[in-house]
Amino acid sequence: MSTDQDLVARWAVEPAPLLPLLHAFHNRDGYLSEAALRAVSEGLRIPLADLYGTVTFYHHFAREEGGHSRPRVCDGPICKLRGSDELMAELDGATPMPCAGRCDDPIPVLVENRYLAGRPGAKLRETPAPMPDDNPGELEECCFAGIREDGRATLMGYCSDGGYGALTRAVREGSPAGVIEVVEASGLAGRGGAGFPTGRKWRAVAEAPGGPKTIVCNADEGEPGCFKDRVLMDYDPHAVIEGMALAAFATGATRGFIYLRYEYPHTERILEDAILDARDAGLLGQRILGSDFSFELYVRRGAGAYICGEETSLLNSLEGKHPFPRNKPPYPVTHGFEDLPTVVNNVETLASVPPILAKGADWYRGLGLGDHAGTKIISLSGDVQRPGNYEVPIGLPLDTLLNDWAGGPLEGRTFQAVTMAGLSGGFLGKFDDVTLDEPCLRARGSFLGAGGIMVFDDRRDMVDLARQAMAFFAHESCGKCFPCRIGTQRLTERLAGEAGPADADEWKREVADIGTTMAAVSACGLGIAAPLITQSLLRDFPDAVDANLEARKS
Amino acid sequence: MSTITIDGQSVPFEDGETIYEVSRRLERDVPTLCYDDRLEAFGACRLCVVELEGARNPVASCTTMAADGMVVRTATEAIERHRKTLMDLVVSENPKGARIDPLRGLASQELAHLAVRYESDGSRFVGKQSGTSRPDDTNPMILRDYDNCISCYRCVRVCAEREGDYAISVANRGFETQITTEFAGLLEDSDCTFCGQCVQTCPTGALGDLRSMEAQDQPGEFEKTRSICPYCGVGCSVDILTKNEKIVGVQPAMDGPANLGALCVKGQFGWDWVDSDERLTQPLVRKDGKLVPASWEEAWERAAKGFKSVVEKHGRHAVYAVASGRAPHESAYSVQKFVRYGFGTNYVDNCSRA
Repeated sequence: MSTDQDLVARWAVEPAPLLPLLHAFHNRDGYLSEAALRAVSEGLRIPLADLYGTVTFYHHFAREEGGHSRPRVCDGPICKLRGSDELMAELDGATPMPCAGRCDDPIPVLVENRYLAGRPGAKLRETPAPMPDDNPGELEECCFAGIREDGRATLMGYCSDGGYGALTRAVREGSPAGVIEVVEASGLAGRGGAGFPTGRKWRAVAEAPGGPKTIVCNADEGEPGCFKDRVLMDYDPHAVIEGMALAAFATGATRGFIYLRYEYPHTERILEDAILDARDAGLLGQRILGSDFSFELYVRRGAGAYICGEETSLLNSLEGKHPFPRNKPPYPVTHGFEDLPTVVNNVETLASVPPILAKGADWYRGLGLGDHAGTKIISLSGDVQRPGNYEVPIGLPLDTLLNDWAGGPLEGRTFQAVTMAGLSGGFLGKFDDVTLDEPCLRARGSFLGAGGIMVFDDRRDMVDLARQAMAFFAHESCGKCFPCRIGTQRLTERLAGEAGPADADEWKREVADIGTTMAAVSACGLGIAAPLITQSLLRDFPDAVDANLEARKS
Repeated sequence: MSTITIDGQSVPFEDGETIYEVSRRLERDVPTLCYDDRLEAFGACRLCVVELEGARNPVASCTTMAADGMVVRTATEAIERHRKTLMDLVVSENPKGARIDPLRGLASQELAHLAVRYESDGSRFVGKQSGTSRPDDTNPMILRDYDNCISCYRCVRVCAEREGDYAISVANRGFETQITTEFAGLLEDSDCTFCGQCVQTCPTGALGDLRSMEAQDQPGEFEKTRSICPYCGVGCSVDILTKNEKIVGVQPAMDGPANLGALCVKGQFGWDWVDSDERLTQPLVRKDGKLVPASWEEAWERAAKGFKSVVEKHGRHAVYAVASGRAPHESAYSVQKFVRYGFGTNYVDNCSRA
């Protein structure tokens, strides 16, 4: 067994060492002991109180002996419907964890570093993520085009279909400016939810003074109802790696990190293997493909914090700091990792880049419907015949996805509500005429975001779903800005009926006032988006709210 | 020159100035709770939000740099409504904050004042309270009354940014956040040096000066007298708090040029000896190996005789004087004058020169 000194010596020389060092102790001891934290504090020269505070920020770092091996059961909105409470009761010492990204095949359970899945009463098994079905609309895809091929996750499999061709051409014949031009012309925009034009981001980093520059792949897929990045990384890891290498080539970055959410331990192994293979083949590391271009790539595993999907919180987490979001501006393009120019892109965004460079900007633009450029992966889950990941042309009618592609509601049921952007976009109760693109959804007071859509049929209690959603945001609020820290708590209490005015009008006024201020003045996207839950509930389900408030009186 | 328009008034600004700083120069009363101008702007309380033309949402003025041509409104109806909601929210988790004795600390009334200004009485947004007090921490200097904590983290930041102790930090997240030492222990087991800076920047009195608080129940208001801390050569400005002519506390002067609100444990908490029962109130001389009370004349004579004989025997440099850091400045001055002029030597020092 490694000694404390071995572990510290192994990681202290690496970039972004805190998380991997903590994981090393966590894996070795089964929890983070006081002695371990003292060793880390000394080894990395982090004040002990700071380190302690930072460790307590993360959901999954156990601080009691045996904590790491106790089952953690997903109690996300879909798993709740599938019996996560019963499953938790069946498992000795189990505790709940927020949505762990397997809504298409619930219920995931983490035990140590094993990602199991099962239902109450059945044996838990380590099974791979469900593969996306063939495109039901028989439409051309970008990210999923090759993902279903056997062996795609291996270097050989990826290369046999033209993989790393875009990187090879760029390095041998192309130029950084040329790569940026194609990405800009393609109209590709951030697929993690923020929708910032990717080419413009890369240009800003390329032009920013200072270095070394960094590419960060945001794989902290924490939004409930989102499980698209997992399938991309599990079945097409080299597409993500090639996308990162292209971003590095385009911007002059020399190092990169994949910040992977804690809940995907199997994915970490897949990525590590893929990086090793790519390095051995001269596609990563020093002097890539014999050129002057060098790019070192590292995987860093999170530890359970939704807010670390917010890019500046992620950067603080990587740097070993308390993962509060930073004040913006300045933005990561000039002041990112270690305050140096940094690209932070989502997995799907990066995986889109190799095909765009291989087939051209016009090809990608043409994949969207109407004026919309490109495609978006939608993670569809809940009360629908065929949940799963679907790559849709941007602008596709939601009705087509729900009914034609995913088979419509379950037998004898009708759709009551869908969520957008996982939970962040709130609920939609009327969605017959919705198309899957930001202009349409923004006009409806929602947004597409990372593309998670959860479907709830007529059996579901909307007020209770809203309560669960707000409880999630309260659980994940970082605690920095007042409106979010207190607001998510107060809204949860009101939805649960634990506190708040008994008078219905006054109840609605309080809920509306909190939401208005949260949306306007919160410091980051979490607090800005969270009140969409209550706002959409009051907008689209006023009768359910009234009935709920009435029922409380008796 | 670059200018920014604030509430209709166009003003020049310096590079690196925030909207909040410019607004304050114009005497705009922009409220804050997480702000301490000695610390890096944090942007947590969001009370300082202002309307910025062209921005979709209000911006936090404390973290937004002034830029040429910006048009800012600091107190529109919408902005004031957000502030009212924010204050109602803060007071809802901290309803006792309006009744905090000012002896707890220098900034301890900030929340109470804003609660009055925004008429936040705790009747709206009723719900769970955050923060858990630490009555188990029985140190004699710093009260840890976290029931009154609003999670602005000024204490954590002043400890790190000004004192460099990093003794406290933020545990957990969201509504469960809690000010903590390493492993949630006691202050005396942590890296805390009891400088008291956390106490003095706390805007709610969640941290309190326990020594001053002993005088809470004495009738009357306290007075402040500006002075310089005598303990060492740094020259920290202090306000000495007195009630009924007795010292009841010391607070650092935020505008003290040498300390900018900083003190150390001695300057902050070491004043109780002033009225100590154990102090000498009359001269003592040693007779037959025992100290016994004497008249001033007798004492002076005895001292003069002793000094004289030493100087006659060994010369003027055989005398060396050390003044106490607990003596008033005037005494310290007299000692050096006496030694230099009276004995003709520069062999004089002060215990707090370190």
